[in-house]
Amino acid sequence: MATTTARPSSTRPPAGPAAAQRRGRPARHRTDGIAGYLFLSPWLLGLLTITAIPMLMSLYLSFTNYDVLSDWESMEWVGLDNYRTMFTDDPSFWHAVQTTLVFALVATPLKLAAALGVALLLNRPFKGAGLFRGLFYLPSLLGGSVALAIVWVNMFNRDGAFNSFLSWFGIEGKAWVNDPDFALGTLILLAVWQFGAPMVIFLAGLKQVPVELYEAASVDGASPWRKFINITLPMLSPVIFFNLVLETINGFQGFTSAFVLSNGTGGPVDSTLMYTLHLYIKGWNEYQMGYASAMAWVFLLAIGLVTAVVFRTGRFWVHYSDGED
Amino acid sequence: MTAYHPLPRRRVLSGVVAAVLALPLALGACSSDDGAADDGKIELSFFWWGGEARAQLTEQALALYTSKHPEVTFKKTWQANQGYFDKLATLTAGNDAPDIFQIDDNYLAEYATRNVTADLSEYTKSGKIDVSKFQKGLVDYSTVDGKVAGVAMGENTQGLVYNKAKLDAAGVAVPTTGQSWQEHITWAKEAAAKAKIAGTMDPSADYKAFWVWLRQQGKEFYNGSELGFTQADVQAWFELWKGARDGKSTPTADVIHEGNATDVTKQLVVTNKALTSWVWANQLPELQKNTKDDLAVIAYPGDASKQWARASMYFSIYRGSKHKDVAADVLNFLANDPEAGKILGTDRGLPSNLDIRTQVAASTDNEAMKETIKVMDELGKNFGPAPTVPPKGHSTVRSELIKAAEEAQYGRATPAQAAEQFFAASQAAIKR
Repeated sequence: MATTTARPSSTRPPAGPAAAQRRGRPARHRTDGIAGYLFLSPWLLGLLTITAIPMLMSLYLSFTNYDVLSDWESMEWVGLDNYRTMFTDDPSFWHAVQTTLVFALVATPLKLAAALGVALLLNRPFKGAGLFRGLFYLPSLLGGSVALAIVWVNMFNRDGAFNSFLSWFGIEGKAWVNDPDFALGTLILLAVWQFGAPMVIFLAGLKQVPVELYEAASVDGASPWRKFINITLPMLSPVIFFNLVLETINGFQGFTSAFVLSNGTGGPVDSTLMYTLHLYIKGWNEYQMGYASAMAWVFLLAIGLVTAVVFRTGRFWVHYSDGED
Repeated sequence: MTAYHPLPRRRVLSGVVAAVLALPLALGACSSDDGAADDGKIELSFFWWGGEARAQLTEQALALYTSKHPEVTFKKTWQANQGYFDKLATLTAGNDAPDIFQIDDNYLAEYATRNVTADLSEYTKSGKIDVSKFQKGLVDYSTVDGKVAGVAMGENTQGLVYNKAKLDAAGVAVPTTGQSWQEHITWAKEAAAKAKIAGTMDPSADYKAFWVWLRQQGKEFYNGSELGFTQADVQAWFELWKGARDGKSTPTADVIHEGNATDVTKQLVVTNKALTSWVWANQLPELQKNTKDDLAVIAYPGDASKQWARASMYFSIYRGSKHKDVAADVLNFLANDPEAGKILGTDRGLPSNLDIRTQVAASTDNEAMKETIKVMDELGKNFGPAPTVPPKGHSTVRSELIKAAEEAQYGRATPAQAAEQFFAASQAAIKR
């Protein structure tokens, strides 16, 4: 870190009187750097103590049979055993992978589509637009909240609001959250409903699309659909990309709603056993923290891989206007 | 075109990278200070789960101890059951577990076999923790690998709670202790037809019902740290209840799933979705608070002498506690002092100390409580030996049983397939 502190004076282009001043007083510049790190220190300290060190610890633990309760002394190095067990000897692991994939791959596109759709509607100037933006954003403020998940469970239970709604049309609903075929579906719906955050970002993106483009297209007689396909989507593609990456990662990390719906078990019959929930059960209910740590690292790599793939495909469809002339 | 910057690429990239890094890898750990002072005063940390009512009783009882031993004070922490064991495990991992903590038979062996709990046999032998008045079997059911791992703070046994009001109204005879399982299922079918409510909750996912049934077949749930049953036993158990479901004695699978939760408020007998619930007998007063209908309790079907005095909860002492002797004296006080017993009542189960139990029964004006004590005293006379405390991995076995039984209940697996799944999973769970 000391080298970084000293470096800026040499890397910045030495031009004008400011540069001369800097060269004349290197000592002062050095203290500026230290002051900078001092101001950063609360964050740095937090990063080190509650993120970086525990992360490295968990990497170490993933090669051990650490069980939380026993003495540290009785912990044993087990090499790659945890990783081997995960891939070859834990059927629930693959089930959890599958559940998580279904959840993320269904919820993310639907959520983005909903966010974009509503953003397009709210982008037009009309009375009360601000109020509606606020209302649509609200659910995502409540985000991963436990209270919201509890409300959701009650809504989709046998005597929940959703079934009352269905009964207006003469349809007799079931206890959706208790049915292994539908429980995950209700969680996906909950995730999709919380489209407020990407919606706000889409709205900001839409505001950036220059009006001249639409005007020019109108002059050429383009239909609204054509304008959407040929102007809005390409101009918005960096924002779509940004939202896609963030929401994919979010989708994979889904935990709270599944935990609340199933009381921490992943039920009914493992239908909501997300990867993160399986990890939690292994670590905290079965005290196989070494194994849970290994799962966390595999998860990190998997999400990294998925993100890399999304980045790769981005080259073909993301349009960066700042790179062109 | 350079004028249009929806979002510069670099910012997008760094944002994404930051988001990826923010993974929930860091499993938090928290710690607090030890309460040892050098002026002769001792502060013991004390941790339990439960509701508001239990907190009040426990605090009163501890205050009573402090009034008799002014040098001893308590740092009390309590919370709901949800998350309690996460916190206890985290404190233990940080070598900072409370001096005294509440625990139950789900986790006693997990903690005891890893030497988290202090061995109390020395105190029970010397009488510093007096167990001479305890219901027989309770001390055995507190012993793991020959070490006394906790002091039983209450007793319970399996209890089938039924909705007496609804049965009387429908003109159906109430179930009685001693009926066979098949008789019970037939009774449930008739009751359901007359009362228009599902007859009996399907307990096939319930380890304690399976356990009683196994003992009646001359088997055990566990022999030490081995399973005491075969795959064929599980299959027979699942088939018994498949028959009951097919014969319309039980509710539908989604309702059974609701009843498989352990919260008192979700039991089908209080949510009016079934006429019975398979619970612990001492839960009757608590269940009664959640319904206007008059409830009553009997033993599970079959030979009731195969039930046993189960320690419903324990207080254990942390092996790293600096004040084990004082902590042991506190536990002795809570279990055996008549005044403390009067305060604590039956909140954690019927008092382990039989003298105190009699005293509590005489002084209570809660009808449900009187009924519970009466029924349990009656059953207790015939109890045979208690089984051993469930081994390490028991809580996983319990959730595996729920999973497999629900597979069968939803019709996604035959009893044979579900039995195979459960047997394999539970063997793996207790061997790990």
